Amino acid sequence: MRSLLRSPLLSASLLLALAVFAPCQAVPRQPGELAWAIHYDPKTFDPAKVDDEVSELVRYLTGGVLLRLNRETQEPEPQLAESYRVSPQGTTIVFKLRGGLRFSDGSALTSADVAWSLRRVLAPATQSIVAAEFVEPGNVTVDTPDPLTVRVHLAKRVMAVGKIFDEIAIEPANRPSEGRVTAGPFTVADYKRGQFVRLRRNPNYWRRDGAGAQLPYASGIRLDIQNNREEEIALFLRGEYDLIDRVAPEYFGILAKKSPQSVRDLGASLNTEQMWFNQAPGAPLPEFEKAWFRNRGFRAAVAESIHRADLARIAYDGHATPAYGFISPANKAWCNEALKAPPESPAEAGGLLAASGFHRGGNLLYDSTGHAVRFSILTNAGNAARQKMAAMIQQDLAAEGMQVTVVTLDFPALIERLMHKQDYEACLLGVTNAEPDPNSTMNMWLSSSTNHQWNPSQKSPATEWEAEIDRLMALQASSPEPSVRKRAVDRVQQIAADQQPFIYLVYPNVLEAVSTDVRGVQSSILSPGPAEKIEWMRRAGGGR
Amino acid sequence: MNLPRAIAMRVGRGLLLMLFAATGTILLVRFAPGFFADSREMDARYAQAARAEMEVESGRQQSVVQIARQEAKGWLAGDFGQSRQYGVPVAELIGARARVSALLLAQGILRGWLLAVCAALPISALRRGGLLWSLPFTLLLAIPASAMATACILADAGSPALVLSLLIAAREFKFLRSLLEEAWRAPHLLQGRAGGLAPLALVRMHMAPNIAPQLRALATLSIVTALGALVPIEVIFTVPGVGQLAWSAVMNRDLPVLVAVSLLMALVVALAGMLSTHDRTLEAA
Amino acid sequence: MKRHTAAVLLLLLVLASGLVLRVSRHGYAFQDRDAIMAPATTEHWTGTDELGRDRTVRAAAALLIGLTGAAAAAAITTAIAACLGLLAAFSPAWASVLLLFLSDGFLSLPWLFLLMMARSLLPLTASPLETAVTTFLVLAALGWPACARAIYRGARSLRSSEWMLQGRACGLKTGQLIRLHIVPHLRPLLLPQFLVCVPAFLVAEANLGALGLGVGEPMPSWGAMLLELDNSALLARSDWVYLPIALLALVLLILESFAEGEAHA
Repeated sequence: MRSLLRSPLLSASLLLALAVFAPCQAVPRQPGELAWAIHYDPKTFDPAKVDDEVSELVRYLTGGVLLRLNRETQEPEPQLAESYRVSPQGTTIVFKLRGGLRFSDGSALTSADVAWSLRRVLAPATQSIVAAEFVEPGNVTVDTPDPLTVRVHLAKRVMAVGKIFDEIAIEPANRPSEGRVTAGPFTVADYKRGQFVRLRRNPNYWRRDGAGAQLPYASGIRLDIQNNREEEIALFLRGEYDLIDRVAPEYFGILAKKSPQSVRDLGASLNTEQMWFNQAPGAPLPEFEKAWFRNRGFRAAVAESIHRADLARIAYDGHATPAYGFISPANKAWCNEALKAPPESPAEAGGLLAASGFHRGGNLLYDSTGHAVRFSILTNAGNAARQKMAAMIQQDLAAEGMQVTVVTLDFPALIERLMHKQDYEACLLGVTNAEPDPNSTMNMWLSSSTNHQWNPSQKSPATEWEAEIDRLMALQASSPEPSVRKRAVDRVQQIAADQQPFIYLVYPNVLEAVSTDVRGVQSSILSPGPAEKIEWMRRAGGGR
Repeated sequence: MNLPRAIAMRVGRGLLLMLFAATGTILLVRFAPGFFADSREMDARYAQAARAEMEVESGRQQSVVQIARQEAKGWLAGDFGQSRQYGVPVAELIGARARVSALLLAQGILRGWLLAVCAALPISALRRGGLLWSLPFTLLLAIPASAMATACILADAGSPALVLSLLIAAREFKFLRSLLEEAWRAPHLLQGRAGGLAPLALVRMHMAPNIAPQLRALATLSIVTALGALVPIEVIFTVPGVGQLAWSAVMNRDLPVLVAVSLLMALVVALAGMLSTHDRTLEAA
Repeated sequence: MKRHTAAVLLLLLVLASGLVLRVSRHGYAFQDRDAIMAPATTEHWTGTDELGRDRTVRAAAALLIGLTGAAAAAAITTAIAACLGLLAAFSPAWASVLLLFLSDGFLSLPWLFLLMMARSLLPLTASPLETAVTTFLVLAALGWPACARAIYRGARSLRSSEWMLQGRACGLKTGQLIRLHIVPHLRPLLLPQFLVCVPAFLVAEANLGALGLGVGEPMPSWGAMLLELDNSALLARSDWVYLPIALLALVLLILESFAEGEAHA
């Protein structure tokens, strides 16, 4: 049979069969173009209909806005509007536009375009989520006394003017273009579904640098739709991507080893990872289980059994901060500094359980009715850090005699159990806080809300402490006094720490990687992260 | 049986298969958990909008009959309905991706078979040591596709077609080696070898015609295996093909896309089944 | 490798795994949080994993669970494929058309949704062993269609061979012919199918963890350990991540030796 192997035909075939080696490649880069990966296709390019993160990023990069919220200072900065004035009652806002503004297609941008864009966002038919931030969008009117002035009349004062107008992109009146004609730094030039979105520089962008050169510096941006983290990292290390927004903690070490100058740990984010028990009275659980979860002592004992420092060190490879409340220490304006971290003490936890009627029998914990304490923790698949935390919590609670099963589900199945059927016992998930102002967490804390996770959509608050939280959150939402708001939010944090409806675990750190070839990056822990000053960013050695 | 009747029967069978696939898909997807859930419900910024969309959807797709009617409308209109996740006609989505997947499949299957055949032929003829020579393919069977993909990425070499062909080669090698070992033991081949016939001549003139039916059956098996392997490969390598679309449709419960993918799968399976024809001439009563 | 050598090796592997579990100081769930991704030491012979769990102990437990589950599921699915393929080959035409139609239809459906339904029917507090058994059983029930058609084709062609005619002429019943003559001739299809299913089911079990099935924490999953190989960060930290794949290759070699021995017997 050696002759078989020596056959030239067979050998040639073998060589052919041993494949064409083609390295993994991104789409070829255009000169001066910045490139990085996004993880799924934008759901829409219409800036008024944005309701997911990637579409929001595209709007940020392309939309011309009246005001831009500075992510660091949280102060609005003039953009298309060179100035604005809010009336003392807060019900009228007057914007003064810059002169000579143009859209990317060369057409003039005037107050008529601004008014049209605002009215379109406010219109119920558009179903824009920004409209809800006007409190009573149906009663908002817009008028334009001259081509450079826009007056917005609100029925009720709105709290975060900078944030709202940061999310409204101005489009040409009566010519919505889905991001193709914009007043922002870039326009949408090309989109191949499942592959990439290409943005091109807006030649008529209003901003110039100190030397009078027109911004943006980069000729364009390519956003590759890339799900494979390994490939994203390989392409970044090869120089084909300029940044990685949100590096997964398990990959930070390897990136730090291979490209130490490019990785940054910006410290705690505003986001939280937490666990909670199902306290909904209508949940399809046995009554004795509901009794456990409604017992404050039980929840506090679970909170004290979990070793958060280990979670941060092991599940996040050191890139997380132990958490005890819903406001991260990175949110200096709103964090309750007086809040004390509860002790992580098995002895104290045991004491709390004993006081709540639980007792040990061998290795297991039993309630007062003789049922062994056994429950499941649901979490979503695809998040390695969260799954590690679940496995570690399982062990921490096993030391207290609790038998915990960890169940990972895909998101739709998880949401159906959590939000529609309340068919779960405990859940471990994260909350993304896109902004520091705690007003954005109203949906989570109001007992009547569908997002009041542990016991949603209550007709009236089930407990006194939930009633107090309702009152305090309503107060902070309506009061114009910063000190009143701060006191109310501090009190909510204290109640949450006492009652433990959410058992906070960690604040994941913000991890990013930015190529050393890129200039002008100013990162923020808030979205869009390293792309915040996109107009000023360029690759060294050329921008056009 | 005359030819037109045979063709009509096959086409009819194919259409029935597609109807079965579509009905089964609608039932499975509709009653699996999470059909009316949207991941944006967990994010307070988008929850209200997501819930409003789901309520509308729930009104339109509560019963299987309603869903079937909508799907049928989409098929008759030629666009196979609107994708739930992308909001565009399904035909537009699949059309662009089918070409990519077909090319990847063809490359994977052809190369995989070439590798498997070129290795199985000499190894199956060895009197001893066959197990040792088969070790590389045993290893390939043990390595998951995602690990092979990472290896390609780390080595800065290789491609989705390479990984697919290695996966197929690993499987097909096992079957081919087994088949060919059995075939080498046939008396007339032993006689041919003893008589000094060249191995390639033996294979071409005496072995191949005898094992052709089994090879065709294996080819069908191969196509089905390759279809199954297509999804993880396209997802891992972010190839914009039907497999990646199918996975995304599963995660987002995009029923119109899933029905279309099932129809496509049924069509390919029906065509693959036609590959292995059988000979009825020697059939006993 | 001779059959009896293969049998001894397999037995040794199973006994060694059992012994490791018996003599280890801590179980497979114990997390030594001060020794994360630790190298090999006297305490942890092959180091620890990302949660500080002893790799040797977990690999031993995973081998026992995975081998039992995957081998049993592979055997069941191969048996179902063989039964249905043979039934279709020896049935009247209408029955074989129906069986093949059902087999093709089975291949076209998105069975992931059935798996999701299976998970939703299991209680959330089902033990890791219960979900593992359910997973392997469901995989066994779903893995047969592709091979059934190949077996049908093989049986059909054998049905019209000369020795079958002679067997019938000698008065052997169809069942006897199938058992004594057809099945041995189908070994070239059945044994590779079994071999190929074992690693496929291990990896499938791990992937089904995303749907809430598979081997649950803290029980070790062989498939999940194999999937660690796609993580370059882990590969860079320890060479012992290759242990599960080395064990799997060894097990497959052993099983293949059985298959060879059967064929030559």
